[in-house]
Amino acid sequence: MAIDRSKVIEQMSKVSVEANPDGLIPAFNVLINAFPADFWNTFTYKMVDAVNEDIKDAVEELFVNAAHECGYHTGYGIITSKEWDAIVKPMVENTEDVLHGAYAVFTAWGWGKAEIAELTPGEKMVVRVEDYYESDIKDHFSGAKADRMMAYMIRGVSGAFMDLAYGGDYDPAGESGLYTFECEQTKGIETGDSYGEFVVKKRNDA
Amino acid sequence: MATLKLDKHFDPDRCRHYVNNNLTVLHCHHYATLFTQLALDAQDLVNGTKLLYETSEDIFYKALTDYYKDNGVTDQAEKTELAKEMFSSFGLGKIEAGTLDEKGGSLEMPVAYLDQGWLQKWGKYNSPVNFIGAGYIAAMFSAVFDKPVRSYKVEEQESKVTGASKTVLQVTV
Repeated sequence: MAIDRSKVIEQMSKVSVEANPDGLIPAFNVLINAFPADFWNTFTYKMVDAVNEDIKDAVEELFVNAAHECGYHTGYGIITSKEWDAIVKPMVENTEDVLHGAYAVFTAWGWGKAEIAELTPGEKMVVRVEDYYESDIKDHFSGAKADRMMAYMIRGVSGAFMDLAYGGDYDPAGESGLYTFECEQTKGIETGDSYGEFVVKKRNDA
Repeated sequence: MATLKLDKHFDPDRCRHYVNNNLTVLHCHHYATLFTQLALDAQDLVNGTKLLYETSEDIFYKALTDYYKDNGVTDQAEKTELAKEMFSSFGLGKIEAGTLDEKGGSLEMPVAYLDQGWLQKWGKYNSPVNFIGAGYIAAMFSAVFDKPVRSYKVEEQESKVTGASKTVLQVTV
């Protein structure tokens, strides 16, 4: 692997995104927002808590899908950006390096300290993440421990990263490529583990 | 009149970004609009749009009141201007004050992030979608006039997402 992860994190963490005179932040071919992290965790907690047990899984999948679609389009915007070209692209030798570089950017953006632990190109990826902001959702629970794994954003984005790497050409309409892969969370800081673990595989119907 | 100060720093050990001591993350309009759609779609099961609006109100109220306290801001006119700047700094768009006092008022958004993102992604919609922006406005009024959250009610009278030239929000106690 040719990616200098520390260098990517150090340089990409300095990339500045500022609002324009319209109060919008256009960057990476999307409109960025810069909210307090607890905004996302609080709404997620409230929605999952509010619905009956028999539909919690369905609501969770909606949150994962939101992140999957975001990760697909924003991920593509990142790996085709001038910042990526300047900092990461010179290190890239193959598709697998793009994935390693993407997780270094993921870390630089403050989503969590994420690294690929296992990768079978085109088939399976295992990602381990420390100190991800989504784990802070545990503070909404009595005893500071969630009753279920809730890193829906990381699940969705991880699936999207594999779509971009091995799901065919990027489709701006999201009608092909997107959802080729799906991600399951197998460990969670919010439920008491020391790190989060995410396993991405091809969807059965892909 | 003071201008908004944004103290941004990155913790290299935790790899987390902070703006004025608030843990901050970047996301895209796809994520924000899909969260909004999720809230709308869940209306038969739970009042998702109310949860989204109140989450926004609570989170941004804290951001505003913490900022006022940390920077010694007490003048209502100054608090209003800073709140407008902070709204834009989050990427939420632009607020132009119409009428604003302790009993409520009317504000305009010539640019509204959620509407812009929704239009870009799906085109027009037949009813307001800017629950996050409306929640911010509720927070803003409470923070400016030293009231607790849920003191004000915000409703969109006109919305860019439905085709209006600007979003207009009515605020009442």
